[in-house]
Amino acid sequence: MWDAISGFFLHLLAASNPLWWYYPLCAVVAVVYKATKHDEPRKIILGSLHFFAWVSIGLFVLAVVLYLIQILL
Amino acid sequence: MTLPARSSGTNPVLALVLGWILPGAGHAYGGRWGKAVLFFVTINGLLVGGMVLGGGTVIQKSLWLIAQLWAGGSVLALWPISNYYSALGPIDWANRLHEMGTLYTAIAGFLNLLVMMDAYIRIAFPDRPADKENA
Repeated sequence: MWDAISGFFLHLLAASNPLWWYYPLCAVVAVVYKATKHDEPRKIILGSLHFFAWVSIGLFVLAVVLYLIQILL
Repeated sequence: MTLPARSSGTNPVLALVLGWILPGAGHAYGGRWGKAVLFFVTINGLLVGGMVLGGGTVIQKSLWLIAQLWAGGSVLALWPISNYYSALGPIDWANRLHEMGTLYTAIAGFLNLLVMMDAYIRIAFPDRPADKENA
């Protein structure tokens, strides 16, 4: 099982993984979305960082959980 | 049809149309130049980035076009370039980078729809609070 988990992380974190391209997309979505909600630059920046962190970390955790469920069941 | 109260003689429907023709133009029309530049750079950057990622062939007559066309004039300007590269050889629809490029351009379209609605609402409802807390 540890081989499978380490293989999963090696694959997930490999520089050749096209899923890395989701991060710039997520950053742009965060900036545009928050810029339509707020007027103050400080709120836009902080809101964008908050949005980016939650979405990217949340999706990463979701991917790990789904993979673990898949190999454990 | 009666439009809601407007600020300084600007027309919200015109802001909507201008925002479709050029991302950010609706906000520029409403006098919000900072946001206009931000939206112009981010949405067009996403479109151009998607085109580069997908080998220049991501704007095609497919279901994705429904989303992409919300970015309006910018997509119409990039369409001939996409057609040119598509004519050079077959498109590899299964290529992951092509998928990602297509997704970039589709998301750019939906983001511009959001920006257009924002430009409309800010002119049509000038008394609406600018910052929505807990949003």
